[in-house]
Amino acid sequence: MRPANWIYTLPLKLRSLFGRRQMDQELDEELRYHLECKVAAYIAKGMEPKDARRAAPIDLGGVEQTKEACRDQRGLLFFDEIWQDLRYASRMLAMKPGFATIAMLTLAMGIGATTAVFSVVDRVLFRSLPYPHDERLVSFGVKAPFESIEFMLAPEYVVLRAQPGPFESMTSLTPGGADCDITEQNPVRLNCALVESNFLSTLGIYPILGRDFTREDDRPKAPRVALLSYGLWQSRFAGDWKVTGKAITVDGKPVEIIGVLPASFEMPTLGAADMLLPQALDEAALDRNHPQLVLRAFARLQPSVSIAQAAAALQPWFQDSLRFVPPQFRAEVSVKVRSLRDRQVEDSRVGAWVLFGAAIAVLLLACTNVANLLLVRAVSRQRELAVRAALGASRARLLRQALTESLLLAALGGAAGCGLAYMLLRVFISVAPQGMVRLQQASLDVRVLGFCLVVSVISGILFGVAPALAKPAPESLAGKTVRATTRGFLRHTLVAGQIAGSVILLTGAGLLLRSLWKIQSVPMGLETKHVVTAQISLAAYRYPEMPQQIAFYRELEARLRRIPGIGVVALSNSLPPSGSMQATFFASIEVPGRPRPAEGTGGMVGYRMVTPSYFQALGIRIVRGRGFEEEDRRPVENPVIVSEQLAAKLFPNQDPLGKSLRFTTLDSQGPWRTIVGIAANVKNGGLTADADPEFYIPWKGDAEAYIGRGYVTFLSSLDPATVVQWVRSEITGIDPVMPVEFATMDARVGKLTQRPRFDAVLLSLFAGIGVVLAALGIYGVVSFFVSQRTQEIGVRMALGATPTGISRMVLANVARWTVGGVAVGLLGAWVCARLLQSLLFEVRAHDPTLLGAALVILLAVAFLAAFIPARKAARVDPVVALRYE
Amino acid sequence: MSRPADLVQGTLDMLLLKILALEPLNGFAISQRLGQVSGDVLQVSDGSLYPALHKLENEGWIKAEWRTTENNRRAKFYSLTPLGRRQLEKEARNWQRLAAAISNVVKLEET
Repeated sequence: MRPANWIYTLPLKLRSLFGRRQMDQELDEELRYHLECKVAAYIAKGMEPKDARRAAPIDLGGVEQTKEACRDQRGLLFFDEIWQDLRYASRMLAMKPGFATIAMLTLAMGIGATTAVFSVVDRVLFRSLPYPHDERLVSFGVKAPFESIEFMLAPEYVVLRAQPGPFESMTSLTPGGADCDITEQNPVRLNCALVESNFLSTLGIYPILGRDFTREDDRPKAPRVALLSYGLWQSRFAGDWKVTGKAITVDGKPVEIIGVLPASFEMPTLGAADMLLPQALDEAALDRNHPQLVLRAFARLQPSVSIAQAAAALQPWFQDSLRFVPPQFRAEVSVKVRSLRDRQVEDSRVGAWVLFGAAIAVLLLACTNVANLLLVRAVSRQRELAVRAALGASRARLLRQALTESLLLAALGGAAGCGLAYMLLRVFISVAPQGMVRLQQASLDVRVLGFCLVVSVISGILFGVAPALAKPAPESLAGKTVRATTRGFLRHTLVAGQIAGSVILLTGAGLLLRSLWKIQSVPMGLETKHVVTAQISLAAYRYPEMPQQIAFYRELEARLRRIPGIGVVALSNSLPPSGSMQATFFASIEVPGRPRPAEGTGGMVGYRMVTPSYFQALGIRIVRGRGFEEEDRRPVENPVIVSEQLAAKLFPNQDPLGKSLRFTTLDSQGPWRTIVGIAANVKNGGLTADADPEFYIPWKGDAEAYIGRGYVTFLSSLDPATVVQWVRSEITGIDPVMPVEFATMDARVGKLTQRPRFDAVLLSLFAGIGVVLAALGIYGVVSFFVSQRTQEIGVRMALGATPTGISRMVLANVARWTVGGVAVGLLGAWVCARLLQSLLFEVRAHDPTLLGAALVILLAVAFLAAFIPARKAARVDPVVALRYE
Repeated sequence: MSRPADLVQGTLDMLLLKILALEPLNGFAISQRLGQVSGDVLQVSDGSLYPALHKLENEGWIKAEWRTTENNRRAKFYSLTPLGRRQLEKEARNWQRLAAAISNVVKLEET
């Protein structure tokens, strides 16, 4: 059609689409006018009025026929045809509600699972971070054995900043500046982040209100200013637009509010931040020889500079900075540059891909099932299709009709799937709130719904194409059932594929479940039952001096001891598992008569300050020697208790009891200590990590170290809620605004298994769905096979075949492609298991027992699914069967 | 919209366009005019006239509007569009070529 035609025809087409009724009325009026004129003309010629009124419509060849011809001339529009197809398709579906329901539910399962998982992994894998050009943002620094995340020493950072090389700009924040308090009326504890002045501009973020930090704000002695998070602005300042310029008191000092951050702002570390404050680094006081301060550094790469190039460009600086690293550590440090996304998702990435892959596998299984259902149905509709083809429907027209039907099914399934996804997502979050990075943020937003729509359409095409390509055989016009031999192969291949997919899912789920089971049965080295813990943090502004801190803990200990019947109470400055604990290098532990290692750190050794009842409260066994006693807390005593692992490492083949050791920390040389006992190993670094060697020193309650964070542990047979209430009232008795966090030890340990549990539960769910779908698929295909061959079976039985023989024949048919599917599945599982390796704990990826179990389960399910129709086949009555057609 | 293109059918479009090129007319008037101008040689049945008109309108060659006739009745009047005029020229040329060719064939003498 030439473009000019549109000018004339488009309004008409639109009218014929939307103004159908009006068009009909006009046609009616046009023809009525014609008839009146014609009648008048005949009468004028001298015809009788009665005859004239009869003759006029006859000339037209019938009024209705003419109308129809006119409408035909307008042509059915594309949309008309779609509408017609849709109505037809919905009639066809409504005619077979059973088929429609099963197909829809199957699809809903596939689409729902995929959508729910997508909503979870989208934020880990695909969705851009909330910064402009986030692909150019990197985290960089030095990687060292004692810290899992790369960091920068402040003096090195300043040196590097003078020549930023591959970076357009670089910025930093001071870690650990977390707790801060607004100390006016309604005091509240907040999370404050200390950042460099160009922090926001490097990330590409602008305050929605007020201004960004300037270099002036970042000077060491500058007047203190703050940027509020959107949440804090709303909750504490009620979204007041005139908040800038207001002074608040933070940790007892006045701070001026200069702006408000956007609602979408998040820290690149994903940490909480209610307020941003300048870190006010005193650059003049920095010394490369004595680095005290650690920074987290971020940068924006220059356009077209890759991460590898950036890392290479940092080498000259790094080699230079190595001069300041003690020689024995040099081999263990390296430069690390990685994308911000990598830093944020870390080890969630593999899990996310595995789950996403599994969900897509489930979707494919669902599509295969529906394709099979449609194929079976296509056979029963052969006659209808043949009639339509004979009446002039073109191949393309039939294809479109078939695709419309499958897309309608997909749309219904997709709608149900979205609902299912919503529920599944709730389940995911409740199963394991910490199971995946950003899981809490996951929701069914526009993007996820768009994904759901796309998935529905794609799956509609996927399962719709094969049946749609069916070419109606002319013989079926005669009413004969034509054997679908060619597509029988397709059906069997599809089911075999399903079986293969299920095997892969089953093995994957089995591996994860087994790994989870192993993790959960790891001996922690401590008892979690009836143990309640309380975490206390002393705000630096309220307890600035050591004597005040000591006084607080003295008072606390005394009060807790007075609570009757509370059981065992212990104090410590850190608590397993996975909490941060103080640590030193193995190499820095000195033992008389043992040479210091020439190079290397020897790994990390953790240590805790504990009161004597600590071991009893947590049920940590003292293997040899004794635990601490009250006398050990006197200033003159310096006992130490080492873990079995440390003992073996320090004194191989010797009795460590009575031996001495001393260790140096960053700033002090400790006293010589005598080993009085050996404690059982405790899993400190989480369940999957090896137990780190550690030692214990007594909590003396004198001026040994600043104890900002303390833990109280109770072993009590009382109800935890009662214990919490008592302890809380005691602590508020000392300090009414002291923040305390209570947790049971069970909950603390439970957190460690959340991620593996999340992966395992989801994958098991998918494997379960996969097996059910495969069973349905096999059942469907075998039933069809039997119904197609009823006549043949009848003949066979009439010729003397036994029911057992018939069953065997059917089952043999099933066995062929089931075994094929299982074989392919085992091969696939072998390959896929490798991808899972990094998620596994003490389980080999290629576990023959698990592969065998998956094989047995699948074969059993296949046999059961085939058995029902096979039995039906065996019961065929030859007489009925022979009269079948 | 595939219809057997016999001679009358093929020429009917051209005739209609030609008649409407002279002046806008309503359906009945067109049928009268067809009879008049061809001296009743071309008998176009009313039954095929209207579908043909609707087809031309759908192609964008003619357009329709409702007007009042001299005896004060609303009737649908068709008129030629610029596109229709071009189409008419094209078909007229084709027709002349065809007519000339046929008359040449007819004039051949049997030798």
